[in-house]
Amino acid sequence: MLNGLDIEGDSPLHLMPVRGKLVLLFAAAIGLFIVSDLRILVPALGLSAILYLSTGIGFREALRRVRFVLFTVLLVAAANYAFHSLHEALVVFCRLSALVLLAAAVTATTSISAFMDEITRLLTPLERFGFVRAADVSLAVGLVIRFVPEIFARYGEITDAHRARGLPVRPLTTLVPLIILTLKDADTIAMAIDARGFRRH
Amino acid sequence: MTTRDIVLVALFAAIIVVLGLLPPLTLGFIPVPITAQTLGVMLAGCILGARRGAAAVLLVLLLVAIGLPVLSGGRGGLAVFAGPTAGYLVGWFFGAYVCGLIAERFAKEDQPELAQFLTFLAASVVGGIAVVYLFGVPWLAYMSGKAFFETALASLVFVPGDLIKAFVAMLAGRAVLAGYPLLPQRA
Repeated sequence: MLNGLDIEGDSPLHLMPVRGKLVLLFAAAIGLFIVSDLRILVPALGLSAILYLSTGIGFREALRRVRFVLFTVLLVAAANYAFHSLHEALVVFCRLSALVLLAAAVTATTSISAFMDEITRLLTPLERFGFVRAADVSLAVGLVIRFVPEIFARYGEITDAHRARGLPVRPLTTLVPLIILTLKDADTIAMAIDARGFRRH
Repeated sequence: MTTRDIVLVALFAAIIVVLGLLPPLTLGFIPVPITAQTLGVMLAGCILGARRGAAAVLLVLLLVAIGLPVLSGGRGGLAVFAGPTAGYLVGWFFGAYVCGLIAERFAKEDQPELAQFLTFLAASVVGGIAVVYLFGVPWLAYMSGKAFFETALASLVFVPGDLIKAFVAMLAGRAVLAGYPLLPQRA
């Protein structure tokens, strides 16, 4: 039920190391915000679109993933057109959509485990100061992925229980039992984790 | 954090993810559909307190960043952080923390009911709305280029929906404090 957004393939972006991709994305973001010349921004948008589609993602799926963010970009561009000028609207539209497409390309070519490895590596220096333990972060990520389907099923059970009793399904009457039932499991899960010695020092 | 705290944080992050899977509510008098996910941000602070609540939100944002479609409407990936509304996501983290600070400081189990309700309402409105907008609106304004004032103004459409969520968070926060209190044992 919780599947990642990465797509298998062997495009140049797939083969790049995660850190390289993130650094390039960050650099591109800074670059896009410094430049406000349409002669650079329009080709940049074209290049981002080509890069995103070169990941082997189909056109339809590619659009489905970014349509919400692109919609907000369009709204912002429309506001610029309505209150300022067409030029300003085009600058904002090209800049933001290029950035969105590049970010989507990084997500499409990086697997969850590759990201987690990179995050673990980035957290290791912090570990020395005692802020956070990288192993705890991956444990927590694993727990969320494990429990989302279960909590979703529990929500279904609670709404069924409402219907069986002829009660209207209201946010409040479903939310409170969902939260209490879920959090009550914490003790048993924590005991199970400690019993297996996952968090040994 | 103890193992139990980590599990509580992870379970609450999972609840926030599930809230995003539910169909959005549409209320007759508000033009925008309301997603329950931002309600999860207020609840994280009201129920788990500042540190664990903020950690739960941060965990959700981490899942988004590594490419899981866990935001409402199946959104996810780095593209969400590149869009003009990313400031609101950053605001979620600080919002949950502030919400938790207020709830931890002022909500007591032996208080009269009304005092508990008012505490959770204040926590949700200040943390879950004011702080979130404090990050979201300037970010949106910066991303909008020259039309920053107009877009900032337009983002206020969401305030009525958020006020309803704050009200639900108040009722739910009080109910959980009465049924399964977690706030007193701070992380």
